[in-house]
Amino acid sequence: MRRPVWAWLALSSVAISDATAATRPHYGGSLTVELSNAQTSPDPAEWNTALSMPITETLVRLNARGGIESGLSVAWQHDADWKRWRFSLRPKVTFHDGDPLNGASAAPALLAALKKKYSDVSIQTGGQAIVIQSSAAMPDLLSDLAEASAAVVRHSETNPLIGTGPFRVTASEPGHRLTLAAFDDYWGARPYLDSIAIEFGSVRTRADVFDIPVGPARRILPEGIATWSSAPRSLVAITAANVHPVLMQALALIIDRAPIVNVLAQRKGEAAFSLLPQWLTGYAFLFQSTPDLVRAKQLISQLRLAPMSLSYPANDVFLRTVAERVALNARDAGIAIQPTPNAGGNLRLIEIPLQSTDGATELERIAGALGMSHADSGKSESLYEAERSLLDRVIPLVHLRETYGISPRVHIESSKSDAFALHLEDFWVQP
Amino acid sequence: MSFRAKVFLSIAATAVVAVWIVAEVVSTLVTQSFERRDAQRTAALVNQFQREFDRRGVEVARRIEVVADSDAMQRLALNLAGHADTSSYFTLAQTVAQEQSLDFLELVGTDASIISSAEWPARFGYKEDWLAQPVDWKTQGAFLEKEDLADGQALGLITVRTVKAGDGMLYIAGGRRLDQEFLDSLPGSEGMRVRLYRQPGEVPSVKSDATVTTIPLRGRDNQLLATLLIENSRADLVALKRYIQETAAIVGGAGVLLGLLLSFWTASRVTRPLRLLASSVREVAVGKWDTRATVSSSDEIGQLARDFNGMTEQLVEQRDRMIQAERVAAWRELARRLAHELKNPLFPLQITIENLQRARDASPQQFDEVFRESTTTLLAELGHLKTIIGRFSDFAKMPAPQLEAVNINQLAREVLQLFEAQLQAPGRPPVKAILQLAANAGEVQADPDQLRRALHNLVLNALDAMPHGGELVFRTSRHDNKVAIEISDDGEGLTPEECDRLFTPYYTTKQHGTGLGLAIVQSVVSDHKGTITVHSELGKGTTFRIELKA
Repeated sequence: MRRPVWAWLALSSVAISDATAATRPHYGGSLTVELSNAQTSPDPAEWNTALSMPITETLVRLNARGGIESGLSVAWQHDADWKRWRFSLRPKVTFHDGDPLNGASAAPALLAALKKKYSDVSIQTGGQAIVIQSSAAMPDLLSDLAEASAAVVRHSETNPLIGTGPFRVTASEPGHRLTLAAFDDYWGARPYLDSIAIEFGSVRTRADVFDIPVGPARRILPEGIATWSSAPRSLVAITAANVHPVLMQALALIIDRAPIVNVLAQRKGEAAFSLLPQWLTGYAFLFQSTPDLVRAKQLISQLRLAPMSLSYPANDVFLRTVAERVALNARDAGIAIQPTPNAGGNLRLIEIPLQSTDGATELERIAGALGMSHADSGKSESLYEAERSLLDRVIPLVHLRETYGISPRVHIESSKSDAFALHLEDFWVQP
Repeated sequence: MSFRAKVFLSIAATAVVAVWIVAEVVSTLVTQSFERRDAQRTAALVNQFQREFDRRGVEVARRIEVVADSDAMQRLALNLAGHADTSSYFTLAQTVAQEQSLDFLELVGTDASIISSAEWPARFGYKEDWLAQPVDWKTQGAFLEKEDLADGQALGLITVRTVKAGDGMLYIAGGRRLDQEFLDSLPGSEGMRVRLYRQPGEVPSVKSDATVTTIPLRGRDNQLLATLLIENSRADLVALKRYIQETAAIVGGAGVLLGLLLSFWTASRVTRPLRLLASSVREVAVGKWDTRATVSSSDEIGQLARDFNGMTEQLVEQRDRMIQAERVAAWRELARRLAHELKNPLFPLQITIENLQRARDASPQQFDEVFRESTTTLLAELGHLKTIIGRFSDFAKMPAPQLEAVNINQLAREVLQLFEAQLQAPGRPPVKAILQLAANAGEVQADPDQLRRALHNLVLNALDAMPHGGELVFRTSRHDNKVAIEISDDGEGLTPEECDRLFTPYYTTKQHGTGLGLAIVQSVVSDHKGTITVHSELGKGTTFRIELKA
C-alpha cells in the first residue's frame, strides 16, 4: 500500500526564478551540467541524483505521490495469487537505435532485473504482451518494475545505453562527461532541449546547472544563480557493531542534531530521528526528541565504558565533520569516541541514499544497506514498529537534501517537476 | 707474614691510596667545572626561550590585530549585532588561521559561543566563558593558554582581540602552538635537550646521566600550565670521569705492580744478607763454628754480620779453650784414675817385696815359703795391673759396629736373662726385673754384640744403684721411626751435677768402678747414630733412655 506523500511537497524548497512561470517554453538549445561526483556508471538512472536524465524508461513508474502510473506498459493485470502478471506494452515505441519495443526486445533487461529478487521468475512474450511468472507471490512487482534498475534497456558495441527515453546518448566518457541529444522519435512529447552536456567532478559553478554538495564550506554563488533543493534523498546515520543497546540509546540522546543540520550541513537537510523522512511516512515526528545529557548520563552510569571508534568514509569531508561533532557531544557525557577514517570501528557513520517514494520499499532497502532485516508490511503501524525496532541499532542523524544551482537562462516547466527529482526533459533555455 | 709481603703491601697500599685520592680530587674538580658550564648553558637557554617567547607573542598579537581589522571580522561583528545567522562562518576561522599562519583561532560571539574554530572545528556552539570575563583584551599581551583539541590538549601562545559592532561583540582568540617544534627552534647547545611537559602529573623520562632543570610555565591567571624541562647531558662528564677512573685504575695497577717489583728488589736487598746470616747461624748450630758471614754492606745488616763473625770467633776461641781445658781435665782425670788404679796393686807389690826382703833377712829358713807366697801375690797383682791396662786398651780400641737387623725385644730378654742367676742369688737383696716390651718395637740396624754390651752395662749400673734391692724395669717402645729402650731403677738416684758428668770417661760414683761403663755405652750409642739421655731424681731412681733409628 502506498503512502500519500503530499506532505513532502511542503517541505521541499523550490527557489527557482519567478521568470520561469511567465515565459513561454522554448525548444532548442543546449544545456551544460556540472556534477561534483564522478559517476562511473553509464546509466544515469543508477546515479541516484535528483537530476533525472530519462534515457531509459520502465514499464511502470512512481509518481510524486508514490502512486504507480503507466510507463512503457499501458495495462497490466495479475492472478489472484500474485504469481502471474501480464503487461501490455505501449505501441509505436522505438529504441534509440530504431528498433521497435516489443515483448522480445524488452524481456532480457526485465528478466535480468527481476532475477535479483525472484530467482525462478520467467518471462513469456508475444507481440506487445509480456507475461511474468514466478512460483512465489509477487505483490510488489509493480514497485520492483518502477525501480531504475528494471529499466528496459539494450546495449551495443558502440552504445552502452540504448533506451526508449526522450534523450539518447551521443557520447559517453564514463567518469568524465556524457553527451545527450533529444530523441526525435520519442513516443511522448519531444524534450525542449536539443542536447545536454554533462561534466563530472567539477565544482566550477559555470554550468547552467550544477550541484552544491552538502558540507560546512561556505560557498559563494555567482550572482543570479537560483538554487533548488530536493526532498531528503539520503540518510546520515550511525550504525553499531557489538555496542550495548543502552549505550546506543544514550548516544541518540546525547547528539545534538541541530548544529549538524544548521552548520555542518548548512541547512541542506533535516534533523533525523527516524530512518524514513517525514514526507515518506507521515509518522517520523513521533521519534523526534531533544538532546538530554542528564538522561544519557543516567543511562550509561551502570555501564563500563570503553573507548570506541567512529569510522567514516575517508574522502567525505561532511561526514568527517559530523563524526567529530558526534565525538565532541559524546565526550560531554563521558563517552570516548575517536573518529577515524578507517572502516571497521565500533561505530560507523554512513550515508544511505533514499531512492524510492515508497516507505516500505525504502525501509527494506535501508535495512538491507545496514545489514539488518525487518518484517515487511504495507500497514503504517507495522512499518512504524519495524522502523522502531531498527532504531535500537542505528542512530539517524540527518536527512540530506540535494541542492542545485541553476543559471538564470534555464527554465523549468514546473508542471512536470516534483520535489523529489528534477527532470531534464522539463528544462528549456532562453535563446 | 713475610718481610717481602709486608714491603709489597706497604708499597701497593701507598700507591693505591695516593692514586685514589688524586682521582677523587680530579673528579670533583671536573664535576664542579661541568656543573658551572651546565648552569651557564641553562641560563642562556632560558633567556633565549624568554626572548623567543616574547618575540612570538608580539608576532601573534600583530597577526590577531590584522585579523581583527579585516573586513570579514567586521562583517561578522555586524551580523552578531544584527543577531543574524552565523552558521555560514563555520569554516572562516580555518581559512583565516591558514592565511595568518596561526595554529589556533577561534571566533567567539557575544554570548561566548564559538562561531568558528580553526583548531577544533566541531566545537562550534560551545562556550568559551573565559573570554567574556571583564578583561581589557586590547592591552593584554600574549599569554599561555591550554587549548582543548579533538585529540587532547595543546599549549598555545594566545592573544585575544575584540571587534565591537553595535551591541554585538566578536572575540578573536588566536595564537601559535608552543610545542616541541617551537622548543627545537631554540638555539641549543650540544648535549642539551629541551622538552615540554603539559600534564602536571606526568613523570618525565630523563636519562640517568643527565641533569635536569625545570622551568614552570604559567598562564594568564598564574596557573601552572606546563613545565619546561631542560636536560643537560652529562655523558661527557661521565665519560671523562670514567676515563679518570680507568686511568687511576691503570696507574693504581701499575703502582701495585711496581710495588711488587720493588718489594722483590727491596726484599732481596734486605733479606739476602739476612738469609746468608741465618745460613751461617744454622752452620754454627750444627757445629761449624768457623763459619763466617759475608759482610756486603756497611748498614745495620753489615754490622750484624760483623757482630756475628765476632761472636763466632769468640765461640771458636772459647770452644778451643774449653777443649783444651777438657783435655787437661781428662788427662788429669786419667792420671788420677791411672794413679788410683795402679796405686792399689802397686802397694801390695811394694809390701810383698818388702816382706820378701824382711823374710830373707830375718828368717832364711822360712824364706822359701814366704817367697812362694810373695811371688803368688806378686803375680796376682801384676795380673790385676794387666787387667786394668787391658780395660783402658779396650776402651781406646772400640771397633766400628757391624750393623745387622736386631730384634730389640729379643735382645732385651737375652740381656736380662744373663742376670737371672745374679738376681736370684741367695743372700742378695731382692731385685725384681720387669719387662715392658712393645709389640711393635721391631728391629733396628745395630751391632748386636756392642748393643748387648751397652745394655749389659746399663743393667749392671742399675743393679749397682740398688744395693738394698728394688725394681729393675726394662722397657721398649717405637715412635716416629725411632725405637726407644729404657732401663729404670728405683735406687737412690743422682744429682743433676752427677747426671751432667755421668758419661765422662773414668768418672764414677762407685768405689770399685773404672768410670768407663757408661762412657762405653755412650760410645756405642753414638756409633749407632743414636742418642742416650738420663733422667734421675734423688730418692726415686734413674732412667736411661736410648733412641735408635728404626
